[in-house]
Amino acid sequence: MLDRKNRAPVLDMGGPTLSERVRRNLHTLRLDWVLYAMLLPTIVFFVIFRVWPIWNMRLAFFTYKAKTAWEWAGLKYFQQIFATPQFGNILKNTLIISFMKYVLLFPFFVIFAILLSEMRMHRCRKVVQVISYLPHFLGWVVIAGIWINFLSYDGAVSEILSWFGVSPSNHMTNRNSIRWILFLSEGWRSMGWDSIIYYTTIIGISPSLYEAAEMDGATRLQVIRHIVLPALLAPMSTMFILNLGYFMSAGFDQVLNFSNAAVQNTIDILDTYIYRVGIQNGQYSLASAVGLFKGVVGMVLVLCTHVTSKKLTGEGVW
Amino acid sequence: MKKGSLERRRTFSVGQFILTALMLLLAATMLVPILNIVANSFSDPMKSPGMSGLRIIPDGFSLLNYQIVLSNTTILPALFNSVKITVVGTAINILLTTMAAYTLTRPKLLFKRTIMVFLIIMMLFDPGTVPEYLTIKQLGLMGSQWSVILVTAVSVYYLIIMMRYFQAVPQEICESALMDGAGHMRLLFSIMIPLAKAGIATITMFYAIVRWNEYFRAGIYITKNSQTTLQVILRQYVVSNDTATLIGDKNIGKYVNILDFNALKNATIVVAIVPVLILYPFVLKYYTKDVLAGSVKG
Repeated sequence: MLDRKNRAPVLDMGGPTLSERVRRNLHTLRLDWVLYAMLLPTIVFFVIFRVWPIWNMRLAFFTYKAKTAWEWAGLKYFQQIFATPQFGNILKNTLIISFMKYVLLFPFFVIFAILLSEMRMHRCRKVVQVISYLPHFLGWVVIAGIWINFLSYDGAVSEILSWFGVSPSNHMTNRNSIRWILFLSEGWRSMGWDSIIYYTTIIGISPSLYEAAEMDGATRLQVIRHIVLPALLAPMSTMFILNLGYFMSAGFDQVLNFSNAAVQNTIDILDTYIYRVGIQNGQYSLASAVGLFKGVVGMVLVLCTHVTSKKLTGEGVW
Repeated sequence: MKKGSLERRRTFSVGQFILTALMLLLAATMLVPILNIVANSFSDPMKSPGMSGLRIIPDGFSLLNYQIVLSNTTILPALFNSVKITVVGTAINILLTTMAAYTLTRPKLLFKRTIMVFLIIMMLFDPGTVPEYLTIKQLGLMGSQWSVILVTAVSVYYLIIMMRYFQAVPQEICESALMDGAGHMRLLFSIMIPLAKAGIATITMFYAIVRWNEYFRAGIYITKNSQTTLQVILRQYVVSNDTATLIGDKNIGKYVNILDFNALKNATIVVAIVPVLILYPFVLKYYTKDVLAGSVKG
């Protein structure tokens, strides 16, 4: 230690050399090893349970062998995917369901946040918040159970429709309505929770802006149009780009649990296909190839939108 | 004064009335389907079949459905396994997350940027179902409950939340504790964690709820029925409509004629909801407190 201190002025002449920097870092590590040891389990965890699977993704280009080394297969599995007749349908389903969930549903979260912030009766507003945040914490298995009951032959939806003369039926097995059921159940689950980000933006707007608008005699709608909406533009574009990251996934847990034999063709998506082919049929390579395709397209989507958004509005995700 | 009177006048306008009614109706559509399941599961088994889907009060009262569900030789062990995996898993989550968050919030940490970039990549990059499945297989964890416990040991998202709470602890407190000869472990457990209680509560709830709702990995990694979790059984029962696990049970024999299987299903769903309902008030208290109060700090 003492020796190092004495030599310091000499070394400072040209800045620390590489070997000096390494030695200094090693010294800090040795002094403070407990601190670094505390981080170690987390790093080890990610290396084993994330980096290793990422390395396993190369299986898309190999043929799986349980005992020996995997055999190089080139693009064979990718050719196989695009030759599969149902693949087009699966890709179409994925894009349609994602479009409904991430583009059509998206404005409703913003509207919900605006309506919530317009409520003046505080107790009622709190009641709405407490109820609407709850479904977010229920697992998709439980939500599927609730919705199957809700949409069954003698459930609430059939009963309400019967007031208007519609004869009761089990809506879960109706292939024409199942995608809208996914849309609605996603809204049911996320309406409250996903609107929080917009709601906090709205209540963060400076009161002086509102007062100035009131002074000028602006109506509530004008206030929303000229003060609230512009403030919401930034979180909206961020959320929209982040949503695009899920575009190729379309919400696997939801689709898997809402699926049944009668509607499977209408809502079969890439991830349910990967699950069926990979886990249930053991065709690991083919499933990995679909997964890689999905991941790459998803990433390109996010990057493109980010760049476009940055060019147009100056706002991106990062 | 003037502002107060303005607020008051607006409170009773027709627009406000319509808006409030509309929002409460929307909230009702979120709550009624859940309450209907609860009501149906507590109803008299003779009256529960064909009960209105809009009813939120039990028709008659009986605990028979719960008596059967909670004594079932498949559901009861699954419930126990779920509790076990949730408790052990969450404990590991909290331990690893707080330790990592502590290290990453130290001001003079070496390679801090590199580590953060690595963690962000880990968060954004999802290797997918099959590569992860193969890793579990290669590790020899297939069939063991440890696969489910370990595979979600740290979430970068909650780690970042925890880091935010630790950053709020004044740096002087840490420095003086270190000066007084406290080690990092002692500083973390007897000073930082008590000071960041709200953060610990928040991530505990989030981790525990995610653990409790886990069904997919438990379904594919845990192969033995005796080791599986409640959500997996619930999925078989509710989504795949496989009632054999219940009918085959010996406890059900004498009730088989009066039982309503739909109500029994609903009772199982309620059992799966209860832990979430227990944790939910804490989410409201610690995480959404400012949102509920209608004001944001800072």
